[in-house]
Order: sequence, then structure tokens, then C-alpha cells
Amino acid sequence: MSDLALEKIDDYRWRIPKSYKPGMRVPGIIYASEKLLKSIYQDKALEQVANVAFLPGILKASLAMPDVHWGFGFPIGGVAATDIEEGGVISPGGVGYDINCGVRLLKTNLQYDDIKDRLEKLTYRLFSDVPAGVGSEGNIKVGIKEEKEILLKGARWAVEKGFGTEEDLECTEENGQIPGADPSAVSERAFQRGRAQSGTLGSGNHFLEVQVIDQLYDREACDTLGLDLGQVMVMIHTGSRGFGYQICEDYSRKMIQALAKYKINLPDRQLACAPVTSDEAKAYLGAMRCAANYAWANRQCLMHLARQAFEREFASSWQKLGMFLIYDVAHNIAKIERHKIDGKEKMLCVHRKGATRAFGPGHPDIPQRYKKIGQPVIIPGDMGRNSYLLVGTEQAMEETFGSTCHGAGRLQSRTAASRSINSDMLLKELASKGIIVKASGRNTLAEEAPAAYKNVNDVVDVVHNAGIGKRVCRMRPLGVIKG
Amino acid sequence: MAHFFYLFHRNNHSFHKVLKNYEVLEHTADIRLKIKALTLKGLFKQACLAITGVSAEKEKLLYPEKHKIVVTQKADNLEELFVNWVNELLSLSSAEGLIFEDVKIIRVNEKFIDALALGRDARNYKVNVEIKAATYHELKVGKTGLFWQAEVILDV
Repeated sequence: MSDLALEKIDDYRWRIPKSYKPGMRVPGIIYASEKLLKSIYQDKALEQVANVAFLPGILKASLAMPDVHWGFGFPIGGVAATDIEEGGVISPGGVGYDINCGVRLLKTNLQYDDIKDRLEKLTYRLFSDVPAGVGSEGNIKVGIKEEKEILLKGARWAVEKGFGTEEDLECTEENGQIPGADPSAVSERAFQRGRAQSGTLGSGNHFLEVQVIDQLYDREACDTLGLDLGQVMVMIHTGSRGFGYQICEDYSRKMIQALAKYKINLPDRQLACAPVTSDEAKAYLGAMRCAANYAWANRQCLMHLARQAFEREFASSWQKLGMFLIYDVAHNIAKIERHKIDGKEKMLCVHRKGATRAFGPGHPDIPQRYKKIGQPVIIPGDMGRNSYLLVGTEQAMEETFGSTCHGAGRLQSRTAASRSINSDMLLKELASKGIIVKASGRNTLAEEAPAAYKNVNDVVDVVHNAGIGKRVCRMRPLGVIKG
Repeated sequence: MAHFFYLFHRNNHSFHKVLKNYEVLEHTADIRLKIKALTLKGLFKQACLAITGVSAEKEKLLYPEKHKIVVTQKADNLEELFVNWVNELLSLSSAEGLIFEDVKIIRVNEKFIDALALGRDARNYKVNVEIKAATYHELKVGKTGLFWQAEVILDV
């Protein structure tokens, strides 16, 4: 347990003063309620928030969202922005191994009553049609020549193959294709690891869920998005898989070797970084963007497979079933973004490690259709409770570099969850709530049990009340496919 | 509370002693491994057996062919060498679709390792946990008393 004394700013904001550790360049700010703070104190997340404040060029504060928990180097749920002109750095550890792990949410025009009697069949169909599990191999095969195209074009590659529409791209962060990807910065081993995994869900906390909207908070935003109570939704959570892991590993190694060259002192090697303008950083950015595009192509392919499964189950086209994408967000990424700092526009490198971009209304980077309400933000919860749809806010732009939380946040270690939770009992308990679960991995169920996570409702309350995200609607799970 | 795993292994056709060679400790998001051995060679070998033990369970032997892969790594110090070694095994395992069942360490010192990893097709196994990588966070590798010990957090 951390013995760090936090300064209370208000009911939802807490400060780690700069004086806490010599070497901190800025304070740490934690967004949390007193209730959530108790669990945050239980591991070393706060110490990690303080460590991130050592990064050269870091601006304003090392930020932690209410779902923050102990990671390695950066905490999971951390946001850090560095000033590129002032020697600001980029850190592969500030993005993580699963580069562009993220979530997409699509709506349907089905109501709960339309699917309740065939939910089990639908869940099994999705489980058989969407490749999931450790090292699963995809049904969507990619030729050697196409590999580089995926890295450059991202979700656009999938759309050009017929796995989606232009509208899907419009409703994806960066249009599913972040510019500046450089396949020549990617190692042969990363290619090898990524080769078989396009169009696969992966394992652990990755999932595909059929959900139903059970609460509306913002009628105007729901009308804009075409959402109502009882409507069936589909959520997909996955990332760049082995391809991204290898890029993070390759560049963490390189950045550790470069620390002395740039005279950077850090309390943890996993924070290894280099100035954004350096050759090492440029190569990493080029490779990281390849992984980001790979992940967007992956989620686009998985959505296509999910749409096909619905088409077969309901003998109708996905368009007739109203399966349109609401939005797709990345929650492990570093972006070069323009932000206003003390009234002056600056180019920053914004790390979101287990945090979501949450740009407010009118921002030029969000689709025209959402300009009035703000960027949709998708917050997955655990498989027994809720998930949320939020929108970004102007306050997030001012306080958190346009960022908010990314999920429920882990509470219990995988080891502890596996030890204390009986998978059969859990399945029965979920079934009694009307939730059907299919999982590939034997350990996944217990490790991903609701008790292993913070209550997402508490997490979302904090970001909503602090003003760095605005609640639109809440979903509850019906059918869950776990990797 | 540590959760102990026990590994049995055969050596030169005689049944070797039972080794309590690694334990899995708590970490909120990931897996923290503590590995112990009498020699540096042993430590690197046990690291290989530990990642296999944590992630995979043997099922039917459908693909019996054994694959041998030369693994050579270097680093500026022992801790980084250890992380590089584990990551190279994880990376090779994923890229080649193999599970490493054993490893022959030919030469190891604090900055260099040369070894032969022995693997079988991953389809012989039920893989329960996908280990993304070994991390440098709170990494400890060194000699304490009689034993070489390593503590490493795996991102899963």
C-alpha cells in the first residue's frame, strides 16, 4: 500500500505535489472519488503517476484517470503530454505493448425483445464466426504484399477489400488510418508475429459483446446518435496483438540504450524515452503508427465478421439490421496533437496509456455528424455490469489534453481472481442475470470476473462529475465472447 | 500470499529432484514471477520453463516433431540480458508457433547468452495465457546467498 499523502483539490481531483520526489517536473493529478481512491492506494499506481512526472518536456501534470491501476512504468489509466519544442519525449512504455488497443461500438435497430429468445444461438454463432483466443488465427487471410498496405492504410485497407463502408472510416478515430506510418521501421519479427493474427480478437480482457441500452442520460446526444432505450448494441475490444507487442519491445530496448545519449534520468527503465525530434523517436512513431493502423484494420475486420454473423442469424442484410458504427476509439496510443496551453497553441506528444481521447464539441478532428455533441467515447465495463457511451467535453480539452478514462480498471490481480473465483459458479451467476458467456481460455473467465474490476459506474461518475466526459447512455451485457 | 507451482523434470534419464523453481506473485494487472536457481545457467533455463508453465498446458501430442532454435542475446548488464532473453523466447514462440519445452544453455555470462531452445508445435498445447512481454518495471536479477534469483513482471 502506498503511504503517499495526496492533496485534495476538490471531490474529484487530488494532487501529488511536485515536492514528493526530487526529479518530478510537474505535479501528479488524480481524478477519483474518495471511494475509488481507497482501491487506488492499494497498489503502486500513485508511485507510477509520480514517476511519469520525470519525463523531459512534460506539461501541466502527470494525469491519472479514475480507472488507474498499477501497470509497468506508466500506470494503466495515465495521460502525459510533452512539449515537442521544449525537448519533449515519447516513451514506448507510455503507449504499452498492445498498441492501439481500443474499442468500437455499433448500433442495431433490433430491440431486446427481438433477440432475447435467440440470444444463446446468436452468442454461439458469434463465438464460432469470430476467431478468439490466444494466438488465434484469422479467417481473413492476408497476402505478403498486402501486409505493408494494411500498415499504411489501416481500416481503409479492410474497407477497400469490401469489409465495410466509407461511413465506418468517418466514424473511426483518425479515420482508421493514422498518417506517418513507416513499415521500414518495423522489424521482420514483428511482421512474423502479426502475419496470422489479422481479424482475430485475442485473449485476456479482449471481447465482443452484445449489449442493450438500459439508461439514457442525454436525450439530445442520443437523438443525434440514433439511440434509445432497449436498443441492441455490439461492442468490440481488441488491439494490434503480437505485431504491436513486438514493436513496443523492439523500441523499448532501443530507447533504454539511448537514455545516456540524451542524458535522461528516470526512476524506471520501462519509462525509457527519447526526444520526439530524435531519430529513435521518429522511427518509433513510424512503427507505432503501423501497429495503430494494423489494430484499426483488425477491429474493422472483426466488425465485418460480427455483421455477417448477425446477417446469417437474422436472414437480413446488416444495413437492414441498422448495424452502423457509432465510433471507434484507441486507448493505448501516443499522438502528435495541437493544444492550447496558457492561451498559446503548441504541438504536443500526448500519451494515452489506458485512456481515451475525448475531444469536445466543435473540434476539427471529429466527424461533422458529431461536431455539435462532441466525440463519442466508449467505456467498456466488466462482463457482469455495465458499459458506457460518453462524449468529449471542452473541459477535457482544457484540463486533460482532451482525454478521459478507458474502462473499469482492474482491482484484483489475475492470480487472486483465479484463486478466489469459481468459473462454474460465475457462469451460473451471470446466467441468472440473463448474460451468456463463451470464453476460449480456461482461465479467462475467473480472471475477467466482475469482482476483479472496479465498478465502472463509480469510474464514469467521476469523469462525468469532474466534467472530463459527459454521460450519454449506459449498456448492460447480454452475450459475451471472451478470448 | 505466493502461489507455488512445482515442476518436475527429467535429466539424463534419471528422475531429478523436485524443484520449486518459480513462484507467481501478486500484481494488479499482470503476472510477477520469482525464479530461483543454483547457477546462472539454471536461472535462464528456469525462466524458459516458467513462462511455458505459466502460459501453456500440454494436451495430446499431435505434432511430435522437435524444433531446435539457436537463441543468442546480448545486453549491457545482467538485468537487461534477462529481459531480452525472456522476450526473445516469447517472441520466437509466437512467431514460430512453438512452445519451448526445454533449453540448453551453451554459454552465459552477465552480458551474453548463447542457447539452444527446444520447442514443439503450439497445437500440442492448450495456451491459457498470452504473455505479451517481460517488462523492466521492478526488475531484479542477481545472486542472493547461494542462489541466483530473478523477479520480473510479465505483461499479460
